Amino acid sequence: MAKQEGLRNVKTKKPWRWWIGLLILGLLLSIPGWASQYTILVFTLFGLYLALAQMWNLLAGYTGLISLGQQIFIGVGAYTLAVMTLYFNWPIWLSILAGGVICAGLALLLSIPLFRMSGVYFAIGSWIVAETLMIWFSNWAYTKKGMGLFIKAAYTVSINQVYYASITMGVFSIALVYVLLKTKLGLALMAMRDDVGAAEGVGINSFMAKLWCFLIASFVTGITAGILYLNQVFVQPYSAFGIEWTVRLCFIVIIGGIGTIEGPIIGALIFVLLQQYLAEYASISLILLGSISVVVMLAFPKGLVGTIQDRLGFEMLSPRRS
Amino acid sequence: MQDVFQPLINGILLGGIYAAVGVGLSMIFGIVRMVNLAHGDLMILSSYIMLATCGILGINPYTSLIVALPVMFGLGYGIQKYILNRVLGAGMEPPLIVAFGLSIILQNTLLLIFSPDARSLQTSLSIKSIDLTQTVSIPVIYLVGFVFGVGTVSILQLFFRSTFLGRAIRAASDDEMAAQYMGINTQTIFAVAMGIAMMTAAIAGMLIGTTFTFFPHTGPQYLIIAFGVVIIGGAGSMIGTLAGGLILGIAQLMGAYFLGSGYQLLAGYVILIIVLAIRPQGLFGKAGRAA
Repeated sequence: MAKQEGLRNVKTKKPWRWWIGLLILGLLLSIPGWASQYTILVFTLFGLYLALAQMWNLLAGYTGLISLGQQIFIGVGAYTLAVMTLYFNWPIWLSILAGGVICAGLALLLSIPLFRMSGVYFAIGSWIVAETLMIWFSNWAYTKKGMGLFIKAAYTVSINQVYYASITMGVFSIALVYVLLKTKLGLALMAMRDDVGAAEGVGINSFMAKLWCFLIASFVTGITAGILYLNQVFVQPYSAFGIEWTVRLCFIVIIGGIGTIEGPIIGALIFVLLQQYLAEYASISLILLGSISVVVMLAFPKGLVGTIQDRLGFEMLSPRRS
Repeated sequence: MQDVFQPLINGILLGGIYAAVGVGLSMIFGIVRMVNLAHGDLMILSSYIMLATCGILGINPYTSLIVALPVMFGLGYGIQKYILNRVLGAGMEPPLIVAFGLSIILQNTLLLIFSPDARSLQTSLSIKSIDLTQTVSIPVIYLVGFVFGVGTVSILQLFFRSTFLGRAIRAASDDEMAAQYMGINTQTIFAVAMGIAMMTAAIAGMLIGTTFTFFPHTGPQYLIIAFGVVIIGGAGSMIGTLAGGLILGIAQLMGAYFLGSGYQLLAGYVILIIVLAIRPQGLFGKAGRAA
């Protein structure tokens, strides 16, 4: 039913969608010009969580890789930034980029054991890798063990710079997933999601398709983590490699709608606003996050965006080819 | 060389405790084909239930099982029946995420009620030990844990082998449709299985509480240990659970002995990743089950 509506939708392509997109983009870019510092900070977080969630969604929603170990790349990205700027005096933005490259390299290495596992085992395996890294970094004298590192260089960038960097990552992640799904790789992914056996039967190499997604997601997550830690200033193993990161991403994607491009956008907005309003009541806000995701999962398993799409047959960013 | 026996003995005894920690997760993984990500937090919840019971009634932790076992059974039954059963069958993600949500709710509710302080269940056994030689001794609390762990796994093995309910649970797990034709309500069976798994969580919670300290966020740490036991032993295999517990316990304490105490957990994780990569179905698991 939903599919037919989607097809009908493709025929009546509406150019005004692009105008809405541009309007929102323009609004986001103008924020430092008129908004308060607090608003800028909130939207900085929005851009960063959007990028992180979009990458988790690429894995969980399109590739079937439920990673409970995204904090691997958040931690490694953050530590790369800290080590490169502190010990090697590299420029900040180059260090952040290096974080992404190292994360992609690490992902390639991790794919050797992790890609032998599937489903739940992959989820658990990725989490155990993150826990292993957490213990490794908390015992490693080079990175000051559990004390963590102080990213001094973070004070040389302005709030606006961090804001623009985060919005760039947010918008880039949307564009990346959108373009990716339009390519041959995206077609392969959607074919695999519907039926792995049939997809492999027509010659799709599902291993390579998954590997590409894993590498791309870890690269973008690593870079985003670098920008995130320009905000946090202090990197410490227990928080950088904590499962809390994946909890947040999971919440964002589930609320918004798993397997949709718009889902993480709505989810990230809701998450960041909730977090701000409930900042003083940390444990209550987490109880609320947990309850909301359980209720959404029971009542609207497709999330807000998925449910709306089903009801109205409307998609802002359709990965389907016309 | 003499003192390598001490970590070895402790590792074996710790393995028994780990078997109790992992057996509930293994059961649910094997029977319902679901990973209960809240299992660790439910164990810690029962530790807190016992802490409260001991405080109010003034009884010792072992007696407080009388309260904790039925409470945890009811809780497990309810969670499975009214929440988790409703998201089964729609792929692997929904139950995973719902259990994840429950885990967050539990942790933070405990934090609100009990504060982040480390707690423990006090018993007079915790300082006693039996000297074997001049340098090697058996800590009594570990020995009690080992006995409880092995006992729990053995009773479950017997239960699944020789009772009607146990066989019905296995039937529902092997072929849900066929079991339904035979008049078994698989939804209720799953709820009962979760109830039993939560009773093992109560026992595990007691062992954790009496042997170590716990605080509201300890759950995930024991969840990972439970995963380790399940991964090494294979899902749903009771003997495997025991073997998994022993291997993990010994690996951890040997790691700590040879590399330093900071690396105790690391040694366990490395073993896990190796087993996962080489034999993802576990050392004792059947190939192709519980994907």
